[in-house]
Amino acid sequence: MTLQEQIRSNRFRSAIVVFGFALLLLVVAGLIGLALDVSLGVVALAIAVVYGLFALIRSRSMIAGMTRAQPLGPEDLEPLRRLVENVSIGAGLPVTPEVRIVDDEAPNAFAAGLRPQKSYIGVTTGLLRTMPKRELEAVIAHEVSHIRNRDTYLMTMATVFAGVIALIADIGFRAIAYGGRSRKAGALVAVLAIVGFILAPYAALLLRMSLSRRREYLADGGAAEILSDAEAMALALRRLGLDSTSVRYADASTAHLWVESPTDRVDSERRGVLVLSGWFNTHPPLDSRIQALEEAGGFQLPQRLSVDEPFAAELGLV
Amino acid sequence: MLWVWILIGVVVVLGIVLALGYNRLVRLRMEADTGWANIDVQLQRRADLIPNLVEAVRGYAAHERGVFDEVTKARSALQHAATPGAAAEANEGLSVALGRLFAVAEAYPDLKASENFLQLQDDLTDTEDKISAARRYYNSTVMHFNTAIQSLPWLLVAKPLGFHAKEFFSAEGDIAPPQVSFSPAT
Repeated sequence: MTLQEQIRSNRFRSAIVVFGFALLLLVVAGLIGLALDVSLGVVALAIAVVYGLFALIRSRSMIAGMTRAQPLGPEDLEPLRRLVENVSIGAGLPVTPEVRIVDDEAPNAFAAGLRPQKSYIGVTTGLLRTMPKRELEAVIAHEVSHIRNRDTYLMTMATVFAGVIALIADIGFRAIAYGGRSRKAGALVAVLAIVGFILAPYAALLLRMSLSRRREYLADGGAAEILSDAEAMALALRRLGLDSTSVRYADASTAHLWVESPTDRVDSERRGVLVLSGWFNTHPPLDSRIQALEEAGGFQLPQRLSVDEPFAAELGLV
Repeated sequence: MLWVWILIGVVVVLGIVLALGYNRLVRLRMEADTGWANIDVQLQRRADLIPNLVEAVRGYAAHERGVFDEVTKARSALQHAATPGAAAEANEGLSVALGRLFAVAEAYPDLKASENFLQLQDDLTDTEDKISAARRYYNSTVMHFNTAIQSLPWLLVAKPLGFHAKEFFSAEGDIAPPQVSFSPAT
């Protein structure tokens, strides 16, 4: 699949996601209307739509806020910005994304932004302290591919919609719990509505997760292509896997943005319990990502880790 | 009458397929042109750094005239290179000449310690990294474009339509970088 085809397929998926979420929204609003009052359903729907539009417009700074990503000053970390610039040139991006720093020991990175021109890449200080230059470049290239493939657009949409669904389900839930007296329908409808309100956020989550896992393979491949170095990406993934620290300010609403699952403990524990729960993982297991890279690049990762010094040394951060 | 309709249908479908394919070729060519523009910007940037660098070194080592001439010549060769292949050659030539200039600079500790010289050296390294990044992108767009016009059915009509294979940005002896083709395991 060439890049342009990938971008188009992403646009198509975006359309499906928007449609799926709109449907889910209508179902929840309909449940509120049925169980309580039609006007309440309409009001809840209106609130959710307004909230959604607002969130979409503000998504850039909201994600920065949720992840605690700090913008860099014009003089800060020049080598890091150069590195990002070089990777962007290699990817053919017209504009180099801004770099933001998340002060967190867990090595991880994410990309956000609705449009490639206004995107940014968030990097944790832990990433700079663990990764040698070659592997850091691979991680950045992975994020740059997300931006180039319009994954960030798709995922931002999905995040916002998931928030909207959670909000309207919550409204419905509270309305039934506290405003029971205005109920006109029978108990059965009320129970059905409550079940619906509980399940809706999970349906939204499921829809979102199904999108993000495949993107990770594509972005890994994109990074390998940008750098002509599939091994660097595989090495970086292995190094990320060695560290099981969780990113402090990452929760379910931002998990899918990161290069590897920011809360991997949770992921792997869940996986052991129930096969189905794998559906809720935002990221495919690192092993299978590394394996996919090995197959595409025709190499085998050496057993030993490289002992190159981390990029933080070059930045004077150690 | 039926066969007339079938004929019309076939012609319409064929027309749509051709139009889509043609658009794809135009798009691929445009991507390659953008890729080339990216390299060109960086080559220009590299060439722009040279006069300052030569001046900086001349301040300490005025008598090393041979090296300065060589660098200046290599620079103008780069600026006058007409094709990607020639530009890559000239770029290599400039690297060789610069290597000699830096070897000369080694002999002058004051020069090596000067802030200006270090900054120029740093900028130059950065530009070289950027050229190699831009080159990777350009060569991959060229490969997509060339593959597209050299496969059927475009093989037959690409030339008359004005699509000509593009040259890689690589000096002689270079091998085009291996392409990682990636299909995700879902």
